[in-house]
Amino acid sequence: MLAWFLESVWLVPLYPFVGTIIAALWFPGIIRRTGPRPAGYFNTLMTLVSLIHSGLALLALWKYEPLYVQVPWLQVAGLDLTLPLEISKTSLTALVVIFLVNLLAQIYGFGYMEMDWGWARFYSLLAFFEAGMSALALCDSLFFSYMILEILTLATYLLVGFWFPQPLVVTGARDAFLTKRIGDLLLLMGVLALWPLARTWNFTELAQWAQQPETIAYAQAHPGIFLAVGLGLLAGPMGKCAQFPFHLWLDEAMEGPIPATILRNSVVVITGAWVLVKLMPVWSLSPGAMGVMVGVGVATAVGASAIAIAQIDVKRTLSYPVSAYLGLVFIAVGTGHPDTALLLLLVYSLTAGLPVMAVGNIVWNCITQDVTLLGGLWSRRPISGLSFLVGMAGLVALPPLGGFWALMQLLSDLDWQSPLLVGVVLLVNGLLSFSFMRVFCLIFGNRPKQMSERAPELHWPFILPMTALAGVVLHIPQILAAVDLLPAWQTDWGILLTLSTVSGLTLAGVVYLSPGIAKPVVLPWRSFQDLLAYDLYTPRLYKMTVVGLVDLVSRITDLLDRYVVDGLVNLVGVVTIIGGETLKYSTSGKFQWYLVTILLGLSLVVGLVIVTLS
Amino acid sequence: MLSVLIAGPVLGALAVWLVRDPRQIRLLALVVSGLMVAWVGILLSRFDVTQPGMQMLETWTWLPNLGLNYRLGADGLAISLLALNALISWVVVYSTPVEVERPRLYYSLVLWASAGLAGAFAAQNVLLFVLFYELELVPLYFLIGIWGGPKREYAALKFLLYTAISGVLILIGCLALGWLSGRPDFDYPQVQATVARLGFGLQVTLLLVLLLGFGIKTPLVPLHTWLPDAYVEASPPVAMLLGGTVAKLGTYGLVRFGLELFPSVWAQLSPALAAWGTAGVLFGALTAIAQKDIKRMVAYSSIGHMGYVMMGTAVGTPLALVGAMAQMVSHGIILAILFHLVGLIERKVGTRELDVLNGLMNPLRGLPTVSSLLVLGGMASAGIPGMMGFVAEFLIFQGSYQVFPLLTLLCVLGTGLTAVYFVILLNRTCFGRLDNRTAYYPRVLLAEKVPALVLASLILFLGVQPRWLVQWNETTAQQLAVTQLASAPLTQSVSLLP
Repeated sequence: MLAWFLESVWLVPLYPFVGTIIAALWFPGIIRRTGPRPAGYFNTLMTLVSLIHSGLALLALWKYEPLYVQVPWLQVAGLDLTLPLEISKTSLTALVVIFLVNLLAQIYGFGYMEMDWGWARFYSLLAFFEAGMSALALCDSLFFSYMILEILTLATYLLVGFWFPQPLVVTGARDAFLTKRIGDLLLLMGVLALWPLARTWNFTELAQWAQQPETIAYAQAHPGIFLAVGLGLLAGPMGKCAQFPFHLWLDEAMEGPIPATILRNSVVVITGAWVLVKLMPVWSLSPGAMGVMVGVGVATAVGASAIAIAQIDVKRTLSYPVSAYLGLVFIAVGTGHPDTALLLLLVYSLTAGLPVMAVGNIVWNCITQDVTLLGGLWSRRPISGLSFLVGMAGLVALPPLGGFWALMQLLSDLDWQSPLLVGVVLLVNGLLSFSFMRVFCLIFGNRPKQMSERAPELHWPFILPMTALAGVVLHIPQILAAVDLLPAWQTDWGILLTLSTVSGLTLAGVVYLSPGIAKPVVLPWRSFQDLLAYDLYTPRLYKMTVVGLVDLVSRITDLLDRYVVDGLVNLVGVVTIIGGETLKYSTSGKFQWYLVTILLGLSLVVGLVIVTLS
Repeated sequence: MLSVLIAGPVLGALAVWLVRDPRQIRLLALVVSGLMVAWVGILLSRFDVTQPGMQMLETWTWLPNLGLNYRLGADGLAISLLALNALISWVVVYSTPVEVERPRLYYSLVLWASAGLAGAFAAQNVLLFVLFYELELVPLYFLIGIWGGPKREYAALKFLLYTAISGVLILIGCLALGWLSGRPDFDYPQVQATVARLGFGLQVTLLLVLLLGFGIKTPLVPLHTWLPDAYVEASPPVAMLLGGTVAKLGTYGLVRFGLELFPSVWAQLSPALAAWGTAGVLFGALTAIAQKDIKRMVAYSSIGHMGYVMMGTAVGTPLALVGAMAQMVSHGIILAILFHLVGLIERKVGTRELDVLNGLMNPLRGLPTVSSLLVLGGMASAGIPGMMGFVAEFLIFQGSYQVFPLLTLLCVLGTGLTAVYFVILLNRTCFGRLDNRTAYYPRVLLAEKVPALVLASLILFLGVQPRWLVQWNETTAQQLAVTQLASAPLTQSVSLLP
């Protein structure tokens, strides 16, 4: 029986896809008769079915080797595009994580979207994401991964733009789409450029190709080519994972509904990192690309965790840590540790939704996202507060929870051979601890303010998924131990990490709980604080560079088209008309003149003919 | 029987004059164009995709002294364009408002144009091709000039002049081919044999004349300025006909009379031609970004997309050619859905101005289905996977990258710019807050949505099952290819070197 679940696991992405299509029927047709809710319930049911199916398949595969399934798609003119699926422990675990987080986010949506008429559209898009992500998890081809990432970019546009009447949502959706699309197209360039080198896009075959001595020799002889291809391929994951300088979209995407944020922060952004890890054999051919990857990771991890501290919008305080954490994943892959990267991703994807859920609870009935207007909610919202703390503890390196083990593994991989990177990881962990604790203190600490005076704990659709996820987060170490993924204890790294976490937490606690320090906290270097608060002035930077350039060039092209190309055509027309109008007055109406003209013309032609013939 | 595709619409065009009631006229036109779709379906089912060369040949000697024979046939390229023509003609008839003025003249002109296009795609004699090419021009002039927007006379005249010049250039080129052969025989195989005997210089001259002629029709930058005016001023159904199929006459000519007739010269000129195509892609996309009128934006998008066809044709690898031919069909269908939706928006909302339109996605008082379909059409045009536009563009890129890497990457950049203007269009049109004081739009009837739903289903189906899009062209593309690519990995082939 279990074997059947394993053999048919390729069906799993189709369940949510069916959900997508069925839910779309409710928009806007059936809504008037049934209300929008059945669309959401149906999709949640589909997610549950997918979760059970993939969970049973994982159980069935547990002791066996990965399976490979080929789905023919297109064979044309010598190009064979067959979709290869890899059914392995890793990919099935990814499926379980995706469906689990989705299930919880969808149940959370029952509460959060209670009053919203856009249920059908919302659940349809959530299910579409689910289908895309689960297909990506199974997909063993760079080309099809690119296709899925690109389709998900469109889905991001629609999901971020869910509340489209709001101007900020519209710009957020636009920026999310365009930023990710730039990454996707650079990825496409990399995909195209990789083909003549490897003649395959299959990840498994790419790994074999990259290990061949002639490939290694060729890569060493042509580092420039491999760097260029590598940078193209890197851009896709950079866009998806909101790494510098493609990070702004994630911040703006926070304008979307919170259940979508739960999904985005915990699993959607991971799609990029997933492809990054899968491409590990290709990276190994280009030390230059790996260097860039580490550079991007370091810049994002440090920059984003610092920016997070300067934000006052509660959703933004949670969006920048996403970029920062994925920056650490980039560092792991860039230093050649894909297994550690996968461990980081597993821990992160199971935990990152929890603080978002807790914060979502507060936003829902306090009606503000400004952390400076909140406070004193610990007594009123203990379950949310505890869940936030568990989520925070699970993400940063606080023993004995998951984040601690994953980061310890990262440090042990980096070792003292790269002391700078060790310092970066410790610093980022400290900054993230500070950042999370700051948010906790501002929301739950101190005395209640006007906006948080009356804020009771919410009903079951909020609390049930949140506490369930908190349970999962608390058990991550046991889960890791059960599947032999728990890293070995390393005393020196453990102590260093714990110290960095505790100092971050304590410092934030002191600063934000002590009445002696005026709030909002103002740094002596105001311009530095503004730099972080305004996201390193990235929007302005975009405007002055890419956006400005495209705008300028398009205007110039338009002017060129209007006044030069078309102007020339119209000029010919005008000259013809004026010429005709002028010539019309040269006719006198006298018969003799016409006769003379004809004779002159004829003699000219005859003369020419004679001259030519002679 | 390819002749049915010509005779059917011609008979239909005559028959509409026998009916008085506007509804029955429309019904008759719908039945005729619907029958043509069915007939094309039968032809497709009989088409042998594995056989190279022309199939379903029909030959009648007409004016042997002139070398003009009524000779029809279809290969993969022709059959897909014939299918596109039949489909778009049906959509054009269906999407024309019931209350159209002077319905008899209108529908007969549409059917005439459809017959002319079918004839041109199926013709196997150069003179016959020119005849059909000109035949389709006249009804379109009237269709723009009578049923168009406020500047219709200017647009129609510009279209007529440009297309007439294009026709004259093609006629000159074709007559020269016949004259050079020494005997009046304009059948394709004969003309092909003639060209093969010509010197390089003469071949280049002839190719340039024909390129200019078809370049105007396609259009290629900078021969395009008739297009924005004609597409914008024409009523939406006529714009669908113009962009959906008529422009394909140009790209069809580029393949049939450029690549196929002059393979060696084509291969030599291909870097310049590919650069020309790329320039079109970038120019079209950049100009579209600056537009404020959504119909004009879609019109400029068409210039960009024709650039991809030129790129694929210029490269001449089998894969790029399959892509170029698929792009002709995919562009026809995607442009048709875009023009239909833009037309619906204009009819219901009363404006096409980006700065005025807002919030049409609103489920209660906006046009939610139209907006959703517009998102689909725009994204298909921007080459998002899962839809047919991606398949065509990707095959072009994959086929051309190894020959012209830099130009291919610039074309990929072009798809990025396409996404930019479609996001601008969708953000301004569909997203945003609907103005409750003015949002009293007439309901969009199901009948008005049908053409868009049919086209959208095709876009999705052919995006997910692209085999149905490319199987017709594959053998033809293999036969026409002027460049073959290495099949071993670059890394291995180089490592074999000493």
